[in-house]
Amino acid sequence: MTGTTAHIVRTLLLSLITLLGVSVLIFLMLRVLPGDPARVLAGLNASEEQVSRLREQLGLDESLLSQYWSFITGVLTGDLGQSARTSRPVASEIAVRLPATLILAVVATVIGSVVGVTAGVLAAVRRNSLVDHAISSVAMMGVSMPVYWLGLLLILLFAVTLGWLPAAGSGEPLSIVLPAVTLAAFSTALISRMTRASMLEVLGQDYIRTAQAKGAAPPTVIVKHGLRNAFIPVLTVISLQFGALLGGAVLTETVFGWPGIGRLLVDSIGARDFAVVQGIVLVYAAAFILLNVVVDVLYVVVDPRIRY
Amino acid sequence: MTTIRARRRPSRARSLAAASALALLLGACTVSDPEAPATGGGEGGGGGTFSIAVGIDPDTFDPAGQTTTTVQNIVDYVVETLVVFDENDELVGNLAESFEVSEDGRTVTLVLRDGVVFHDGTPFDAEAVRFNLERIVDPALTVPLGSPFEVIESVTPVDDTTVEIALSRPSPGFLSALSVTTAGMISPASVTAEGNTNLEYQRPVGTGPYTFGSYTAGESVTVEKFADYWGEEPHYDTVVFRVVPEAATRESLLLSGQVDMMILPPVSDLEALQANEDVEVLLAESDRTIFIALDTNDPLLSDPRARQALNYAVDKQAIVDNVLFGAAEVLDAPMAPSLFGYCETGSYDHDPERARQLLAEAGAEGASLELLTPSGRYVQDQQAAEAIAGYLREVGLDVSVSTSDFPSFLARVNAAPSENTVDMHLLGWAPPFLDADFQMQMFRQATHPPAGLATSFYTNPQVEELLAQADVETDEARREQLYCDASQIIWDDAPWIFLWTQSFPIVWSTDVTGISATPTEKFSAVYARPAN
Repeated sequence: MTGTTAHIVRTLLLSLITLLGVSVLIFLMLRVLPGDPARVLAGLNASEEQVSRLREQLGLDESLLSQYWSFITGVLTGDLGQSARTSRPVASEIAVRLPATLILAVVATVIGSVVGVTAGVLAAVRRNSLVDHAISSVAMMGVSMPVYWLGLLLILLFAVTLGWLPAAGSGEPLSIVLPAVTLAAFSTALISRMTRASMLEVLGQDYIRTAQAKGAAPPTVIVKHGLRNAFIPVLTVISLQFGALLGGAVLTETVFGWPGIGRLLVDSIGARDFAVVQGIVLVYAAAFILLNVVVDVLYVVVDPRIRY
Repeated sequence: MTTIRARRRPSRARSLAAASALALLLGACTVSDPEAPATGGGEGGGGGTFSIAVGIDPDTFDPAGQTTTTVQNIVDYVVETLVVFDENDELVGNLAESFEVSEDGRTVTLVLRDGVVFHDGTPFDAEAVRFNLERIVDPALTVPLGSPFEVIESVTPVDDTTVEIALSRPSPGFLSALSVTTAGMISPASVTAEGNTNLEYQRPVGTGPYTFGSYTAGESVTVEKFADYWGEEPHYDTVVFRVVPEAATRESLLLSGQVDMMILPPVSDLEALQANEDVEVLLAESDRTIFIALDTNDPLLSDPRARQALNYAVDKQAIVDNVLFGAAEVLDAPMAPSLFGYCETGSYDHDPERARQLLAEAGAEGASLELLTPSGRYVQDQQAAEAIAGYLREVGLDVSVSTSDFPSFLARVNAAPSENTVDMHLLGWAPPFLDADFQMQMFRQATHPPAGLATSFYTNPQVEELLAQADVETDEARREQLYCDASQIIWDDAPWIFLWTQSFPIVWSTDVTGISATPTEKFSAVYARPAN
């Protein structure tokens, strides 16, 4: 495993450069956006003196270079700055909202993986049967349905018509069901299609025929010889989807009033709250890098032939 | 205001059809749990919880930092003001029992209500008033709605229950401004307690019927009944404000009984809600005027005839009926009827012939104009702008509609005349208290961008003169007449396409009652109670 360890250390070191690049990009992108943060924060009725006083307080009257310098030195000392909108520290704003998004993404990924892989294997094994066609059709719906629309329909059915589940919020244990299912719909469909394709390829291999010929039980053939060998591309899709869910939960969070970080990001962009947007984007970037490292390790676990 | 109740909603068949489609989709990942509770909407005799679905996550609970009415509405449960507007839009005492303005208009004397205490036990007295009024004029603090208080010269406690406020000039709107949440009274001791600081004041301690309970970011705000409240005791022990940005989801929360009341449903559902006998709909009057500001510096639009033509070209009532689903009232003055200083001024009835003729006189036939609109900030804003552009095209103008997010929009319309590139834009303006003074900022040179948001760059020496007189006129009747006269000139000069005041829709379960609204886009639900 020493090769793998070295690979991980190398990846993490390189990622520092990536993070630095991300920090420059997001810093500049925010500054080229039209819209004066001080004017937005002060409100429509504020006088020009109030706006310019606020601009000064926020440090927006300083040069870009010195603004970036205070941002990046802050980050290096663990200080992400202060939200202009709420005047709370950015780190604590993120800390309050991140867990909700993480839980949602994890639950959605578990649903997507379990259901997607099961459906994909089933479709591959029963290729061209009614089951296969049904799964393919539902998967097609899953990838094409807008999250917004699906979420509202689920609310109408399970909260309004049936009265079984909370329509919004995160206050009760069952609150997570509807947003997680909504968020999982797309990845479930994608994972099932990837699993099916990858399984079909593997099931056509000689070693599968060999395993069947030597009398291995069908479940053993399918799972041990088939799925395990078909799993690398599936794992890649699952990890990419998890990353996408972290960042892409904005719509789901909005529809379900879920207090996650995606909504905080959108609210902060709308309020031109630079410090919060910068902080969240950095956290996202770091999470993506970490996720990639974890997946690299998982590859080795799933397929011992892989060496770095 | 209208409250309509009728038959059941007709949407059940549709949702069942959707249900069967979804059952298919969800076949593999079933979530059905018949035991799952639908949270109880607050009911029950005495006590209990009342829950309200709102759309905006509070940015600050500091009364001085308020910008949005929804957040003010929440803060108002905890923090009270010296004066309030009553149901007849008349200014009456609240924490101040009575008020008096001196002959020269420069001294305001308040007699405070005796025996009022803050939630932390601090007595509410003249010293507390001095502390709060000095706080909102402190330059170190960001006070977005602070401009009406800049006239405060000094605040002097005469005795425990009497305060004298000296003003640098007569300011007839000053007393009304004291009704805004910005001037809410917080306990002087609380700015250094409970993790608060003067600049980061997040756990408000006021004198209101409810004490601040808890805030979960992005989720909810909870307030608890205050046992020693000086006024009438509210029914519910706890009030929960649920933060749900999506209007359709708020509606679902109400229809499934998971909240008791909501604000701002999707306007396209108003008709269905009005037909639903389980809920009541209030299309409350608001003081928010919606208009198209016309760039009066533009060579084509500098001619009042061209601007009048645009007003005649648009069928405002048809847009209100068909695009806003009735959730607005067409303007008949440059301000909302609820403001002091309003008088019915005129009308620009839909008359395309007249519009064409006026355009010809002004030499603006076939002119090419850009109409900029925000999207999702005001009721059906972008949709209304599209409809307006359609009417303008009918009289031969070449109109293109563009939109952007609000900060970018603001950057464009708030630019100095030399940098301003916007021909026309849709905007809303809501005075924080019911006085024409704030509305008239839209028509004065002193508030032309970038100093203010008088974005049509309109000025007229007669109007400036009348408004300057109104600024210092202490006689109410005369001041009202000055605004009325100014309104008439503004109406004829037409710096705007005058559109409508938008409604503020509130919907609640018929299980509860005692809910109303104020014209500043706030709900009054402190005294909500079970209906039976």
